[in-house]
Amino acid sequence: MAAVSQSFKTELLGAIPSLRAFAVSLTQNADRADDLVQETLVKAWDKHESFQPGTNLKAWLFTILRNEFYSQMRKRGREVQDSDGIMTARLAVHPAQHGQLDLKDFRGALEQLPEDQREAIILIGASGFSYEEAAEICGCAVGTIKSRVSRARTRLQEILKISGEDEFGPDAISAQVTGSNAA
Amino acid sequence: MGNQTRVPLALGFAVEERFRVLETRASMKAMSKKRMADAASRHRNGDGNPLGANSEIARKLKQYYDELVSDRVPDRFAQLLSQLEQTEPAQKKD
Repeated sequence: MAAVSQSFKTELLGAIPSLRAFAVSLTQNADRADDLVQETLVKAWDKHESFQPGTNLKAWLFTILRNEFYSQMRKRGREVQDSDGIMTARLAVHPAQHGQLDLKDFRGALEQLPEDQREAIILIGASGFSYEEAAEICGCAVGTIKSRVSRARTRLQEILKISGEDEFGPDAISAQVTGSNAA
Repeated sequence: MGNQTRVPLALGFAVEERFRVLETRASMKAMSKKRMADAASRHRNGDGNPLGANSEIARKLKQYYDELVSDRVPDRFAQLLSQLEQTEPAQKKD
């Protein structure tokens, strides 16, 4: 077994913040997330020879982490959610005041998404992966990722009661207040 | 995990700083790659970014994730990699 190169180790270290962020997004639990990251690092170390230098290490690590997450879920006897058949309970979110959507509300809404939709929208909308990379990480077709992202977005808009972007511009009332209070 | 080597605190912080720099560099690289891939994808399929670059959902998602990414990395991870390194390249003990 060849020694793990110093650059591989440095890159692993550098990937930890995003691995933790992805793990929290998947597990919704900080302790479970860190265990998942630890497991991922050990696996990545053991399998370092199967990594092709010059390819995307972050995508490779995300794939390992995701596989580990779903394998743990199966071990726990929990069915992997199927977003097509799921009806998620609605979270009562008060209409945002003056267009400020609270991060706490957003987190709550994200938690309600089925895992496959949540991971898709995180990979594409936050982790900076392309559709092709996300499809590879999730082991599915590019079209599947696109439809999951789009369903996730629609679902979040429903939960958060966002119907259109124009709702978040200055509304009539705030415009009036600003205008009338001008000293 | 009781007998793991302790990383001196100052070193821990230095390593953490290094993480941040690397992380930023990596995500910048990933971003430009994503932009190219998205542009190519739009060109092929005639559709835009389903998140809408400036939508409230896209902004909150970024905010949510960036907060997680910037969370302080516990020392246990640097310690873990040092431990793994110490058992390398000697034969694996199973």
